[in-house]
Amino acid sequence: MSRINTLLVLLLVVMSGLAVQPACAETFGQFMAEFARSAKSSPGFQSFSAANGEQFFKSTHGNEWSCASCHTEDPANSGKHAKTSKVIKPLAPLVNPERFTDPTKVEKWFKRNCNDVLARACTPQEKGDVLTYLLTIGK
Amino acid sequence: MSERIQVWDVPTRVFHWSMVLSFCGVFLTSESERYRDIHVMLGYTMLGLIAFRVLWGFMGTRYARFASFLFTSGEVLTYVSALARGRAERYVGHNPAGSVAIWLLLFLIIGSGASGVLLFQDIGGDMMEELHEVLSFAMLAVVAVHIAGVVVSSILHRENLVSAMISGTKEAAPEAGEERSYAWLGVIMLLAVVTFWAGYSALSAMAPAEFAGHAEQRDDDD
Repeated sequence: MSRINTLLVLLLVVMSGLAVQPACAETFGQFMAEFARSAKSSPGFQSFSAANGEQFFKSTHGNEWSCASCHTEDPANSGKHAKTSKVIKPLAPLVNPERFTDPTKVEKWFKRNCNDVLARACTPQEKGDVLTYLLTIGK
Repeated sequence: MSERIQVWDVPTRVFHWSMVLSFCGVFLTSESERYRDIHVMLGYTMLGLIAFRVLWGFMGTRYARFASFLFTSGEVLTYVSALARGRAERYVGHNPAGSVAIWLLLFLIIGSGASGVLLFQDIGGDMMEELHEVLSFAMLAVVAVHIAGVVVSSILHRENLVSAMISGTKEAAPEAGEERSYAWLGVIMLLAVVTFWAGYSALSAMAPAEFAGHAEQRDDDD
């Protein structure tokens, strides 16, 4: 019995890492402010541009994928994973209110997807441009 | 009186090194969507390997059996405190501290694999995503401890435990040996893994759309 107890305790120790994380919901406005704050620290920053964001979103940046490869040319639509064909929910926050509410997710997916598309992290300017563009969708 | 005896049978070694390879691959492909199909393929491989290992834990040879490395917490503590004084007893099979890592890995691979399968089928949402990441990084941490343990134990007992997992043999009393190697089963496993990789890659390259559908159907069968 004590053997099983040992295993259980060990398992619990591992599972305790799963302790609920504080979920602080944010609005896309707060993300916008955050990107602007970061972007201002780099010289030459003026403002975010939906047109630049759209161009960024729809072009490739050295690798074979663009953002639109998975999210489609119209972020109001559901996307399709370029590798697995899985459905991806619409990216535009006005169409899909779940988007840009969870800082952890926003951080995580910018990191992963920028790495796939650009082979580097996105700059605050690029993130702000893209979000500005996304906010013009579904108005 | 000690001689070269077999400790790890062939299926156990094929299992171990296939797992090592899959484990490395699954982490290298974890931070990218580009290699998502490879990540998924290797995850399935790890679950398949674990399924075999669980059976082998009941049906395998002497040192592969769960019964040979199911220690009490007292035995683990005694071993660890002896280890801290640099006087740990040598075990031919898994030592009590090492066995803790093995048990943890067993559960963590099952947990991380299962949560990964569910996540890939869009079941469980953010919670499942979180679970998959936590279990996977816990697994990474235990692997680090496992490797450290192998190094420490190898130095302490002046034997190369890595090469023992390759050759299957160790220096020990003849009666500690396990003669059955089940080489044929190891060959079958190796063929199964390679066939699965080749088949999966070919299918996912051929028709990604249909293949995703196939994966969903496959999950429904479970």
